[in-house]
Amino acid sequence: MIEKLISEVKQLIIDSLRIEGMAAEEIETDVALFGEGLGLDSIDALQLVVAMEKDYGVVVPDAATGTLVFQSVRSMAEYISENRK
Amino acid sequence: MNCYMFPGQPLTHNAQLPDDSDFSEIAELTLLRTGVNLHDFTRQGEDGSVSAMLQIYGVAMSLYQARRFRLQGVRPDLIAEHSMGIYPALAVSGSISEGDALELTWRVGCCMNSMKKSREYALGCVVGLTLEPVLSIAENNGVYLANLNTSRHFLLSGERRNMEAAETEALADGAFSVKLFPSDAPLHTPLMAEIEGEMRGVFSDYRYLEPNLPLLDHINQDFLAATEITEFMIRELELPVYWEKSFIALKKAGVGKFFEVGVGDSLKKYNRWIENEASRQ
Repeated sequence: MIEKLISEVKQLIIDSLRIEGMAAEEIETDVALFGEGLGLDSIDALQLVVAMEKDYGVVVPDAATGTLVFQSVRSMAEYISENRK
Repeated sequence: MNCYMFPGQPLTHNAQLPDDSDFSEIAELTLLRTGVNLHDFTRQGEDGSVSAMLQIYGVAMSLYQARRFRLQGVRPDLIAEHSMGIYPALAVSGSISEGDALELTWRVGCCMNSMKKSREYALGCVVGLTLEPVLSIAENNGVYLANLNTSRHFLLSGERRNMEAAETEALADGAFSVKLFPSDAPLHTPLMAEIEGEMRGVFSDYRYLEPNLPLLDHINQDFLAATEITEFMIRELELPVYWEKSFIALKKAGVGKFFEVGVGDSLKKYNRWIENEASRQ
């Protein structure tokens, strides 16, 4: 179940951030999304918040939660799994 | 239609620099006109500051990247600019030379550096809140809206202690992210009027030719004529940058492809947000 969600999250990242030249499966599940990892920033993070809410009905209510949720693809998938409606 | 977008000042310096003849030429010109050595990020002489050097780095990289895009056959039909992106934008539109753009940027940076002798200033990126609460936070804390980049991405500017209070309030109000950065001057605020006379002197030392490509200003979304450039450069230091309005104006003008000419990809990301939001409505 979580593996399927992980694949979906990778595709959500590619689609919502319009990442070109990279396939979903090339994103590592446990690598950091920000900084040295995938190199995302707060502009990207807010785009992901909107996409998660649209696709899964999951809300990231504040900055502190966002910091935990957007650590990696796995942490995003786990948060969606625990909070989806 | 292609649009070259020139971003404002980068917040960090990337030590990994291009290694080709175009960059060597730009680096040499930068050293000659400003005294800044891009290779080791040092400066000959005592004036200037880290912020001023970052501004030079940003302009130099924009000039370099414009050359590379042109070499790749990507030619602009329109030019847009954000904040200090005006200086390389003027050069690439043929209004001033590359060397003048670098020197002008350095002199502006040195003028701004003089402001921090009396007060400490900061800029703050606020992500996630809408305009109304951001304006309230600015008013409550005596700081100013400096950039309206999208419906949810703003920059505040002002005295550092006030900015710290604004940061606390923004986070308490549910901002998704707030980041403060030290700044030599309260860029894009009326506080910049303190050095207006000095700036006017700097800008009047250069001759501005008619841009050979339409150059969109970020205040009123008008295309700048040569006679308007000095006044625009003074006003833009004291007024907010309206990027969202600029992007919408560029789309209306028929731009289909946007090329960010400089360090980072913030403008592309703002554009993505604005487009996604429009498609959701």
